[in-house]
Amino acid sequence: MEEQHIASAFDRDLEAIQARIMKMGGLVEAAIVDAARALETSDEDLALEVRARDQVIDDMEEQINVEAARLIAIRSPAASDLRLVLSVMKIAANLERIGDYAKNMAKRTVVLAQGPSVQDCTSALRRMAREVERMLKDALDAYIQRDVALAADIIVRDRDVDQMYNALFRQLLTFMMEDPRNITPCMHLHFIAKNTERMGDHVTSIAEQVIYLVTGEKPDEARIKGDVTSTTIQEI
Amino acid sequence: MDAQDIKIKASNVQVHYGDTHAVKDVTVRITDNTVTAFIGPSGCGKSTFLRCLNRMNDTIQTCRVKGEILLDGEDIYDKRVDPVQLRAKVGMVFQKPNPFPKSIYDNVAYGPRIHGMFNHKSELDDIVEKALRRAAIWAEVKDRLAAPGTSLSGGQQQRLCIARAVATEPEVLLMDEPCSALDPIATAQVEELIDELRQRFSVVIVTHSMQQAARVSQKTAFFHLGELVEFGETGQIFTNPEDPRTESYITGRIG
Repeated sequence: MEEQHIASAFDRDLEAIQARIMKMGGLVEAAIVDAARALETSDEDLALEVRARDQVIDDMEEQINVEAARLIAIRSPAASDLRLVLSVMKIAANLERIGDYAKNMAKRTVVLAQGPSVQDCTSALRRMAREVERMLKDALDAYIQRDVALAADIIVRDRDVDQMYNALFRQLLTFMMEDPRNITPCMHLHFIAKNTERMGDHVTSIAEQVIYLVTGEKPDEARIKGDVTSTTIQEI
Repeated sequence: MDAQDIKIKASNVQVHYGDTHAVKDVTVRITDNTVTAFIGPSGCGKSTFLRCLNRMNDTIQTCRVKGEILLDGEDIYDKRVDPVQLRAKVGMVFQKPNPFPKSIYDNVAYGPRIHGMFNHKSELDDIVEKALRRAAIWAEVKDRLAAPGTSLSGGQQQRLCIARAVATEPEVLLMDEPCSALDPIATAQVEELIDELRQRFSVVIVTHSMQQAARVSQKTAFFHLGELVEFGETGQIFTNPEDPRTESYITGRIG
């Protein structure tokens, strides 16, 4: 809606809440990038910083929910305004979850830094995290531009992330079978991989919110799940 | 069954007041046991259209109505139709409570008396009590039925007018801004009542309060500049309207 509300304070409120989502999105993007970099470079200080910053992200989600509740109470938004407020609440929840996963990655980085390193897994994880971060950036762009095509593209791209996770899953399983001493670090790395894959799902959910916001309808096509590991059996 | 029968079928209705084209080619189906809300900015033709449904516009000299309005398949503008009989079937409640300068009892008994709906006084008593109960005002007035209708508060007067309207056992109840002069409590009581009336009647309500339309109706029609812009399920109209003009109006934007 390009037209302005007759009550201009309503427009200001809607703009403010969206600005807050974008700011929160920026913090979450930074958390993903920094957590992945800390993991690859075994940078404990950076990992600790990512963990500390998660509190800010959690607080923002709370603020956004308070603001959204106030908007509903005072403005009784309808139609696209209602969908906007609903999408803001949903996206804030998705961003908060992604932030948690980034924080968890940082936590495990500190543990991993104590033990032996596992070959090239961390750079694969970083590539995966970078892809998720790019998807998130695009999802937030799609949100602010009301770009349905871009949002639909993100939903498709999540399959690539699922593929990366599948590959990592097999690789980690192989490492663990080769040498039981790898089990501890590989278990941590596996959780990191799984969490990153989950981040992709939350980004996908944000993209779906964009489609709902613009069209009023949920994307109809059932998502094709790319994660096959829940049915994987490794022959020993 | 597709659950709801068509009660009123209006096709290509045009209304002119002199040179003013107030309602432009409106076609709409009003289903039975449903609350249908008409919304739209002032002067959009919603009240005029509502008044066509029981021929209230007949009393306005310059008003011309074209098109077809069928009530249960019968043309209400047919020459053989008696407007007084029609209005017993299609009752109306107005914006301002307008009780007759009579007792509470006589206000409600007025319609049944003209239409000869009873044989004994005791039957009339029953009709009056039933109507007052349906309008959720019985408890407040049962001990002072002889008091003038005008002695009641605004909200009570409006519910009295609703009792008067339902006393003739109408099949359709038209309400033109029935809550605009009421406080929030009385509004809530009338809205609750509208929802109960839906069990028996088809209710058509014109309202400027979009929240009220959203709360009480199952179907919503949006009028703009004499046209029926959009008609659909209330839930859909308020979450995802199809027409950009509807969207502009219900979200409070300049259309």
